[in-house]
Amino acid sequence: MSKKTDIIVVGSGLAGLTAALSARASGRQVLLITHGVGSLAVSSGCIDVLGYHNGCPVQDPIADLPQLNPEHPYSLAGAERVEKAIDWLQSLCLAGGLNMQKNLSRRNHELITVMGTLKPSYLCPESFCTECFAKARRAAVVSFENMKDVHPLLIIDQLHRYARFADMEFMEAMLPCPIDQSHRNVTPLDVARFVDTPEGLEWLRLSLEPYAKLYPILLMPPVLGVKNSQKVWGTLCDVLKVRIVEMVSIPPGVAGLRLREVLRNALNEAGITMIENALAVRAVADDKKCLSVVTSGAGGEHSWEASQFIIATGGILGGGVATSPGKAWETIFNIPIKAPENPQEWSSTEIFGRSFFSQMGVRVNADLKAIDDSGAVLYENVRFAGRTIGGYDYASEKSGHGTALVTGMLAGELAGKE
Amino acid sequence: MLSKTDTDKCVACSTCVVQCPVAEVTTKFLGPRMLGPASERFRLLNDGEDSSLTYCANCKNCDISCPQGVGVSNINMLARAAYAKKHRPSFRDWILAHGELESRLAGIFPAALANFGMANPISKCILDKIGISKKADLPRFASKQLAAAFKAYKQPEQLSKKVVFFPGCFIKAYAPQTGMDFVWLLNKAGYRVELPDAFCCCGTPLYTNGFADDARKNAEKNLAEMRKWKEQGIKVLALCPSCELMFKEELPVFFPDLAHDGASYLENGEEFVLGCISRGELVIDAPGNAMKDKKIIYHAPCHLRALGSGMPGLDMLGSIPGLKVSSASAGCCGISGSYGFKKEKYDISMAIGSKLFQSIKNSNADLAATECGTCKVQIMHGTAMPCEHPVSILKHYLEKEQQ
Repeated sequence: MSKKTDIIVVGSGLAGLTAALSARASGRQVLLITHGVGSLAVSSGCIDVLGYHNGCPVQDPIADLPQLNPEHPYSLAGAERVEKAIDWLQSLCLAGGLNMQKNLSRRNHELITVMGTLKPSYLCPESFCTECFAKARRAAVVSFENMKDVHPLLIIDQLHRYARFADMEFMEAMLPCPIDQSHRNVTPLDVARFVDTPEGLEWLRLSLEPYAKLYPILLMPPVLGVKNSQKVWGTLCDVLKVRIVEMVSIPPGVAGLRLREVLRNALNEAGITMIENALAVRAVADDKKCLSVVTSGAGGEHSWEASQFIIATGGILGGGVATSPGKAWETIFNIPIKAPENPQEWSSTEIFGRSFFSQMGVRVNADLKAIDDSGAVLYENVRFAGRTIGGYDYASEKSGHGTALVTGMLAGELAGKE
Repeated sequence: MLSKTDTDKCVACSTCVVQCPVAEVTTKFLGPRMLGPASERFRLLNDGEDSSLTYCANCKNCDISCPQGVGVSNINMLARAAYAKKHRPSFRDWILAHGELESRLAGIFPAALANFGMANPISKCILDKIGISKKADLPRFASKQLAAAFKAYKQPEQLSKKVVFFPGCFIKAYAPQTGMDFVWLLNKAGYRVELPDAFCCCGTPLYTNGFADDARKNAEKNLAEMRKWKEQGIKVLALCPSCELMFKEELPVFFPDLAHDGASYLENGEEFVLGCISRGELVIDAPGNAMKDKKIIYHAPCHLRALGSGMPGLDMLGSIPGLKVSSASAGCCGISGSYGFKKEKYDISMAIGSKLFQSIKNSNADLAATECGTCKVQIMHGTAMPCEHPVSILKHYLEKEQQ
């Protein structure tokens, strides 16, 4: 059976969600089809726009945009569009109760991770901002018993290796685990969910109180709730008269889930239906026009018709790109992706270096439509967004969420205009 | 090894842990990733079983969220079945698994008596003793079960086309009116409906409670009957998403020898009705005053979401003129069949459902709608709002418009 709508978005990561929302803003009907929930929920929840360029740290990503190669999605979109997308997400999050902030001097934040390293990012929840360390030079580093991923002594030791923190006074603050002893490892997400309850919040306030009297800053894993993190953070900072700084954590990242919840709520309010557990397996096209996308799931194959399509199915991990030795291709339209024939050239010996694995993707034009070697458009009514697009190296650049956001918003807006 | 349960596809990204409704509300559950793909490797060594295996509700949100297509819940259910082979499940689990048998026994007595037998304080205490929560609202047997209601109903005679209805045990015993509303709609669209006596419970409650052999017997019976109709080119329709999922996704994994030939002869009843509307067999172009300005909030059952077929019930409600429909989009209701009736799971179940209850209460709707029978029980228990199957709402509309 075939069903019809105006605009179909495939994929529900950051690119898919933002594409659906910006497409819906045009007033058209939007249907979101997804297989899995993407990687947003387990991510840091911070928007990395451009952390490194040619291996060097970037101070001001917006200022550095003109230096990127012309095939980079940011170059295709233009610097103005990059800034517009960031501001749009910021206002969207604020409406959803999450205050995402740029660094005061409009440069990259230096966020602190639970490994005690510094991570460049452009937009982060207010609770992650580290600018307070410029004034206050003393902090308690908080963790919880049984939380195996967060060790204050390791964090302190690591931070002392950075010039910015070398002379700072840190203290380890290990709180008892608030969660019943169980055979499961306790993660920041478990504690955050407890803090979402009134008794959890009160427990955290009481536990932090003695440290708040000694130190102006409390550095913590992201445990300040999932649903109302902004409010929890504000309340605790106020009543304890302290500045709390959350650290970027490994999956489950908590802040990624907070951001996803905000976008999911916005999607629901916008009246966008989401079809889950449906794997887009192929498209039906008439010459250069896509007529429908076919999904496969437990309930069988289904055909979904629309006049515009946005493909945000991710890279290799998300399933948007598939590979075999010497070959790579996009999985719905079978668009070939240029790849080195020798698979050994795909990877890099440098762990943080550039590699084909984090670059491979569909070649698109400024309209985000796939193009062939001659630059001719393959499908007139299909746009691509996020990791499915090539032309950049999200891992070495630290530009994953930024590119997803910018291309997602742009694809949605352009599709809504047609 | 079946690709759907291939543990090596799991990259341990922890997405399922984040999305699991049970892990969200209790730490007693090890979580889908650890219990599913991670533990499965140790099961190959036959190295004991994790005590929290019974805490998996089989709601399938792990499968829905997994970016790699790992069938986490099926790994858990296969492990549970293997465990139950060596360790007999409890009497309580037998009771909850064999609801269909009990409904047949109850059918011998008048419903009021049978329900009094189940719902009075003394029985509740006894049920509580064996592990069924006294706080739970067990569904009530209907005064006339579906088979009897169907027999008493006279279908119009001139209907040339034919379909078969697989009602599932919930509609059969507890919600026969939903089944009869569906028959009414199909009749109106020009189809005569067959309700074969041979159809029995799809096996979901049996398998998930550890009674794999009983589930297998039911599957053999049901598939044989479905095959018969399939050979005649007649469609078999279901209204319960869990029944549909059992035939389409779980049977081929649980009993690959039975369902190897592509599993399913079963089709989604709501999609069929939508097809009737788009083919012009069922006409909804009436002026539309019957439901004018009525507000309905729809809940998508997890097993419907797991089917990956879309939301035919929501589309159906959307086709009713004047009706204001919104989707709760608040995740799992928490009941997961018989899970939420169990004494040690009741609070977990209610905590999971709290988001949905809040969303429904905040909606100021006149009525809630969902396809799944036990979701309906849970919604009414958690919100005190009436809840109907979308086919019943469409039937009420068309019936009123006729008057």
